[in-house]
Amino acid sequence: MKYVTVLNGKTYEIEIAKDGSLTVNGEPRTVDFLTLGPSLYSVIRDNASYEVVIEEREEGYEVLMRGKLFTGDVLDERAQLLASRRGGLSADSGEISIKSPMPGLVVAVQVSEGQEVQAGQTILILESMKMQNELKAPRAGTVQRISASAGQTVEQGKLLITIV
Amino acid sequence: MSSSEQSQTSIKKILIANRGEIAVRIIRACRDLGIKTVAVYSDADRASLHVRYADEAVHIGPPPPRESYLVGEKILEAARKTGADAIHPGYGFLSEREWFAQAVADEGIIFIGPPPSAIATMGDKQSAREAVKKYGVPVVPGTEPGMRDDEILAAAAQIGFPVMVKASAGGGGKGMRAVYSAEELPEALAMARREAEGAFGDGTVYLEKMIVGARHIEFQVLADMHGNTIHLGERECSIQRRHQKLVEESPSPFMDSDLRRRMGEAAVLAAQSVGYINAGTIEYLVDKDKNFYFMEMNTRLQVEHPVTELVTGIDLVKEQVRIARGRRMGPTESLTEPKGWAMECRINAEDPYNNFLPSVGQISTLIMPTGPGVRVDSGVYAGYAITPYYDSMIAKLICWGDDRPEAILRMRSALEEFTIMGVKHNVPFHQNLLNSFTFIAGRLDTKFVEERFSMTTYETAPEDADLETAAIAATLYAHRQRQLAGQVVGRNERDTSNWKWLSRWERVHK
Repeated sequence: MKYVTVLNGKTYEIEIAKDGSLTVNGEPRTVDFLTLGPSLYSVIRDNASYEVVIEEREEGYEVLMRGKLFTGDVLDERAQLLASRRGGLSADSGEISIKSPMPGLVVAVQVSEGQEVQAGQTILILESMKMQNELKAPRAGTVQRISASAGQTVEQGKLLITIV
Repeated sequence: MSSSEQSQTSIKKILIANRGEIAVRIIRACRDLGIKTVAVYSDADRASLHVRYADEAVHIGPPPPRESYLVGEKILEAARKTGADAIHPGYGFLSEREWFAQAVADEGIIFIGPPPSAIATMGDKQSAREAVKKYGVPVVPGTEPGMRDDEILAAAAQIGFPVMVKASAGGGGKGMRAVYSAEELPEALAMARREAEGAFGDGTVYLEKMIVGARHIEFQVLADMHGNTIHLGERECSIQRRHQKLVEESPSPFMDSDLRRRMGEAAVLAAQSVGYINAGTIEYLVDKDKNFYFMEMNTRLQVEHPVTELVTGIDLVKEQVRIARGRRMGPTESLTEPKGWAMECRINAEDPYNNFLPSVGQISTLIMPTGPGVRVDSGVYAGYAITPYYDSMIAKLICWGDDRPEAILRMRSALEEFTIMGVKHNVPFHQNLLNSFTFIAGRLDTKFVEERFSMTTYETAPEDADLETAAIAATLYAHRQRQLAGQVVGRNERDTSNWKWLSRWERVHK
């Protein structure tokens, strides 16, 4: 199987043959990959020993190794094809939905529809875990739609603001 | 009552009016002492560790604290039902409520904490200042609580900016705001009042002069019913964000023997000024010229008490119980020199890469660090779901070393071992902090994290070989999962990836 693996923004072409042998960008690699638990693995590569935790989420893979968290995705040929038809894996343009990261109370909406925002600008204040939390714009853009109002109690994942 | 009568007081069963790691901590001390324990829990905490570890557990209502952990009558009812003869309030919740301590005493139950009068005097910032001033303890210039906005504005001009807005019923940084000009003050007052109202049910606020470049150093005190009051040295708590402590250590890198003696003596006087009994903490602000000012007294056990335990060898919770039983406390003299160095990192479910936004969800993987000089006080486990109802602290990682460098090295290694998956957490923050030259040099002040620390400055990019190894591991993982999914549902039967189909099936059948 051929895979394209993107981790922390870096792309690797990794092929795993039927006999289990593995190449990275065409070069052979010898890797001892041992399952220790539901998401815990031991990797030994050129005598270097790594404990690795791997978990799959909706948005991709998380790999924790030597105290560092790596995030990315592993695409097989079919997924690559789909991604290329959509026009790339990620883009700095297009619609961004700001969803509530946790249940809480909307204290204030600090932008209005049509307003231009800068990356990092506070757009909404959400009260949860006894703290007032500022939600910020992940990138610059224009507020297209506001789907929550001050005083409203929101569930986790509720769409709050759409930026284009 | 004579001291021989007091020493007859027996405690056989303690109800812990709290949750999370501190409830577990208290249960452990009770086990050491051979005392039975009663946990209380809300609907959100049925599966919490404190419920699992206690001998008995009593349900006290819905998740919001105001309907469960803050309802004194429900706690008392649980104590009656189980025959508990003492209540330990932990920190937060009802721990610093005079009326609760009084209500417990009125039931004939021992409150493991100070007398209600001491809580009352120290709980009101103004009366606390008046009390300690009479004993010659220096205080920070400020206003009375409960003034109108226009009065506060006028007072602020006299004190001089910057000032701090603080909640009278406060603690833990809730309802606290720094204000740098008169224009910002009205909004800050409104925000602080709102937060204080939400957290404590009391929106009263007051002003205090902000000591610029200040360190936050506190002293642990212990007092028994036999007239002994001592201090157990300091804790440096300058690493804070929005007035929430993140890292504490003992001793303070700023301390010298003479300053420790002077601040310690003042701490003992402050405790004596209100007839204090049991464990308490005197918080000071210390400026760069080693002038110190009494800020407040926390009339309870502190979150960061373990760092004192590690450099003194004293179990503070056991001492609290011993004192509440009317016995003489174990240590008889104030601490002059701590043994070694201890450091605590608060592990919070907060995303340091996204403005420390709290994170809720299920902890999917949890591997705690171990080894010489490593202690973890935690209330969570793999499979535990973090809810939005309570604060975001999930564990405390405490490391001890012969000296500060050894404590830092052990902490770094322990942080690397600490594996928490499923929720965002601040372990990467602590890793970066412990790599920062400012922290290593011990040049700490309460504004360091907010004003001069950044997650990117000390973060090193992963080695190419490590990144490639991680990529290989992820790919092998995905490869195995896909093969497994293929075996489960059969190949080429559906117009989508079998693996995706499997996860959809799981969602439908939940």
